Amino acid sequence: MGRFLSWLGSILVTLLGLMMLTFFIGRMLPIDPVAAIIGDQADQATYLMVKHQLGLDRSVPVQFLFYLRDMLHGDLGEALFTGHRVADDLAHVFPATVELASLAIVIGAGIGVPLGVVAAVWKGSWIDQLARVVGLLGFSSPAFWLGLLGLMLFYATLGWVGGPGRLDISFMDEVEPVTGLMLVDSALQGEWEVFDNAWRHIILPASILGFAAMAYISRMTRSFMLDQLSQEYIVAARAKGLSQGRVVMRHAFGNILVQLVTVIALAYAFLLEGAVLTETVFAWPGFGHYLTAGLLAGDMNAVLSCVLIVGIIFIALNQLADFLYRRLDPRTR
Amino acid sequence: MTLREYLTAEETQSATQARWQALYAGWRRLRGNRLAMIGAVLVTSLILLAVFAPEIAPYGPDEESLADRLLPPSTAHLFGTDDLGRDIFSRVVLGSRITLMTACLVAAIAAPLGLLIGTVAGYFGGFVDVALMRVNDIFLSFPSLILALGFVAGLGPGIRNAVIAIALTAWPPIARLARAETLTIRRADYISAVRIQGGSSFRIITRHIVPMCLPSVIVRVTLNMAGIVLTAAGLGFLGLGAQPPAPEWGAMLSIGRSHLSGAWWLSTAPGVAILFTSLGFNLLGDGLRDALDPRS
Amino acid sequence: MVRSRHMLCATVAAVLLAAGPSRAATPKDTLVMAWNLDALITFDPAQIGEVNGNDIVSNVCDTLVRYDTQDFSKVVPSMAQSWSTSADGLTLTFKLRPDLTFPDGSKATAADAAWSMQRFVKLGFGNSANLTQWGFNRDTIDSAITAPDDTTLVVKLDKPYPEGLILSAAFAQNDAAMILEKSVGEKNAKVVDGKSDLGNAFFKTNPVCVGPYHVSKWDANEVVVLDRNDKYWGKKPNSRRVIVRHVPESGAERLLLEQGDIDVARLLKTEDLVALASNKDIHIEQTEMQGFQYFALNMADPILAKPQVREAFRYLIDYDELGRTLLQYNGIPRASLVPEGAFGALDRKAGQPFKLDLAKAKALIAEAGYPDGFEMKMILSVNNISPNLAQHLASNAAKIGIKISLEQMADAQLFTRGRAREFQIQEVGWGAGEPDADSMISRHAVDPDPRAEAKLAQYPSWRVSFYSKEINDKAEQAKMERDPAKRIALYHEIQEYMMHNGPMVYVYQTIRPIAYRSNVKDFLINPFTVDYGSAVK
Repeated sequence: MGRFLSWLGSILVTLLGLMMLTFFIGRMLPIDPVAAIIGDQADQATYLMVKHQLGLDRSVPVQFLFYLRDMLHGDLGEALFTGHRVADDLAHVFPATVELASLAIVIGAGIGVPLGVVAAVWKGSWIDQLARVVGLLGFSSPAFWLGLLGLMLFYATLGWVGGPGRLDISFMDEVEPVTGLMLVDSALQGEWEVFDNAWRHIILPASILGFAAMAYISRMTRSFMLDQLSQEYIVAARAKGLSQGRVVMRHAFGNILVQLVTVIALAYAFLLEGAVLTETVFAWPGFGHYLTAGLLAGDMNAVLSCVLIVGIIFIALNQLADFLYRRLDPRTR
Repeated sequence: MTLREYLTAEETQSATQARWQALYAGWRRLRGNRLAMIGAVLVTSLILLAVFAPEIAPYGPDEESLADRLLPPSTAHLFGTDDLGRDIFSRVVLGSRITLMTACLVAAIAAPLGLLIGTVAGYFGGFVDVALMRVNDIFLSFPSLILALGFVAGLGPGIRNAVIAIALTAWPPIARLARAETLTIRRADYISAVRIQGGSSFRIITRHIVPMCLPSVIVRVTLNMAGIVLTAAGLGFLGLGAQPPAPEWGAMLSIGRSHLSGAWWLSTAPGVAILFTSLGFNLLGDGLRDALDPRS
Repeated sequence: MVRSRHMLCATVAAVLLAAGPSRAATPKDTLVMAWNLDALITFDPAQIGEVNGNDIVSNVCDTLVRYDTQDFSKVVPSMAQSWSTSADGLTLTFKLRPDLTFPDGSKATAADAAWSMQRFVKLGFGNSANLTQWGFNRDTIDSAITAPDDTTLVVKLDKPYPEGLILSAAFAQNDAAMILEKSVGEKNAKVVDGKSDLGNAFFKTNPVCVGPYHVSKWDANEVVVLDRNDKYWGKKPNSRRVIVRHVPESGAERLLLEQGDIDVARLLKTEDLVALASNKDIHIEQTEMQGFQYFALNMADPILAKPQVREAFRYLIDYDELGRTLLQYNGIPRASLVPEGAFGALDRKAGQPFKLDLAKAKALIAEAGYPDGFEMKMILSVNNISPNLAQHLASNAAKIGIKISLEQMADAQLFTRGRAREFQIQEVGWGAGEPDADSMISRHAVDPDPRAEAKLAQYPSWRVSFYSKEINDKAEQAKMERDPAKRIALYHEIQEYMMHNGPMVYVYQTIRPIAYRSNVKDFLINPFTVDYGSAVK
């Protein structure tokens, strides 16, 4: 119980720090939200009026308290650059990012895990080398550049995939948003043409995001597997004459599953970051696109909320990873 | 004692020497690693390119010529020209200076900062440790690009602010590493010995602990270089990094974005340059890690 | 149906699925448009400050009167079927049509019109200058604009402005002259600190207006959907629905247009337009707008205070070459502050007398006392061709020793810095309200009070500390002059003076290129209208 309380306390302290940091960044913004609202042609009286309405004429500590109060009420304020509540906007854009990141993680893990296992089993072979080079390329490629190349080749030149955005315009509004995940919604409602179109649009950005995730996942898988394969019980099992496949799959791989889950959870968190640039390139109406648009428009409420929420998701995923790790590894208990 | 003797002597005089010896042994392993050597070649080429950029570039990076805009690659313009008629090859070549400078400056700020915070936290423990690591956690709980975006938005665009912003996001992992290393050695006998002799904490940290942490921090920083290069390019791509007309690769890419179907060459060369640079640092860092950590 | 195959293919291995490109024509009764909707933050006519919002709202909200499509200097009836000016020139009376209805079917009256115009001034957003510069203000607006009966709207003026000028400036195709539904605004008003927002929060996303369309959906940075009003008083719009989709990339818009996925593309850049020009399926309509892109030189800076330095900058711009390259489809090189097409404008040749001349520029700065040049900082927007123009100027300036460093920023920040006078050089744009020389001159040349504490941030002239009593007087004289020939002469004088001595270096008058599929017919496009309902497919 005491342990739990201190854990809770530390989480709360981190959250408070997170909010202080986001607030601090927001305060630093040289962009004046008032100017963003009233435009370039208004007079000074209007300026002061709007500034007062936004509460920006209060002292900084008071503003922070109001900010805290609003956050605790779950009130993220109004996004000045969209005219909507930030919470509504986020509810709207998050599914797009979740859909993209989920498919990316499926691709990343689907290729990365087998690749890592193979690379570990045949350590030093050409396939290990290949896995390593592919992984390093994944780490090293600027995702936004791959996005550009992909669009140029597969969309502009070959016409294999859909262009920027989630759907062709002619398919918009054909599907009622239920989950907000275009593939799921269209499938549930039997709109297979929409599904097909959504698939064409998502596959390229998801593959590019997935590539980076794959690099990370395959590398971690390899090192986990190497760890296991050098354990005495594996050596013993091999000595007993168990087949290579059984040893690898049943024993070694089974033992790294929990570790893999944590790695995949972390990779998923990093995809949110990757989404910022990828979504910009693909005009994907998700969270990253929303963040950069808000940033360029100088929208404090929108930017702070995004940063805060990503921070919270990061903490949550990290805690999850920590928790799983503790359960698994007696040395860290 | 020559350097070589210091690094290969069978009996070491100090823990620091032992560390450096391990490092030297690692270097010898590194030389045998082909991928790492490719990385080293890439990084060295980048450095040479940056140093001799003005001699290599056939044109000035800002030399505009509206009549020659958007020309495809040719013998006169190896990588073509951009939308103001500037030679892309020259810009990529000169851009290497910006990239290298950014990466080095970030490392030069983040490494000492992380090292200091990590060793202090690890050495003193208790409240200092808890407080510093809490701050560290808060910074770590943001993805670095998003945090850097926030900082740059706050500080204003420009290469100097981009460096500060990236450095602010780059120190936490280094601090964490330095703290972990410190924890393993702070109770060592020789540290206690220094303490008993009346060595101040400052002296212990700077003279005994920091040198011990240095090798792993160097590796970590090399590995981070790739990430720094990518983050800087990302900021440039969003218009928040180096300001025009600076030939920053990320910013050059973002120009290419508006010429997707017309002029492919605008985004090709800077993209490849970013890729090679980041790949070079990754290969080298990877090799370094393998060399220093014989387990993997 | 391709479902099962795709369900199966939704595996990791099928990373790139190729089954031939999808081509779907847009529905017959729907006009599909692609645009960059980043800047769109509100549909409330009182608040709109940017191009997209204005363009869309002008299809949702009619105005009292409108410009004649053949001759913009003439005003013709719209919701107001007639009007009259009292003998003393101080009272303007509009007679509204009796058949005006809101989308919900309720009747729109003069009371709605009066309320809309009153709130326009009371809310005081940037737009309110459209009325306040004609003497209306928060305190007097309730008595200045009244509705004695359902179809009569009475406007009291503070001065006997020429009828044509005041109609054109305040009541024709102007956000000030739109009719919002008063009962809806009052019902949905939000009160903050005891002050009502007069329905601003509600109208922001849903402007309930008299007009051909209504906004039925707006997802920020994604899409705006307009649907036809069946009870509209005017000509029935041809398309039942208009979809404006957010496509922020020129290249992407071009491909969508080529493939027929959209009917109209609004954001195309020069290169894509050049490429489309030879495509017979695409028509490009270029419209000269009443707007400018310019470099503002802050005269508070001792170097820029020298008239020779300001004139030198005009010789550092290669107007001709820009016109042939970067400005193609973007604008017409122009150095005079009154745009072509406005009453009183200099003609094209007289309005752009400058040529790139480094020697002359060098001589001018030497004369000003800076033979070796100087250093300057410029702030500019990250958007559009701003960075290219700035780099063009900086590159030529560097050749005569003037070192200009650039700092790009978001528009909101650019405006803030401008309003606070915190810049040396600012590259920025400006749109004039009405096609009359007064519109630009009253803001860019006239400066009622140059003192910092006057805070006249809505005047670009104030922002750069420009003040000339002579120009102020001349502009006022021209505004009240009833003889058109004399007005024109006065405006020409002001333009000549400003073109050489003024603080603004105008680069080009904006062109708005709209590209659409050739099967779209009768699309009415002019500087003040993009009439979605006119397009026939």
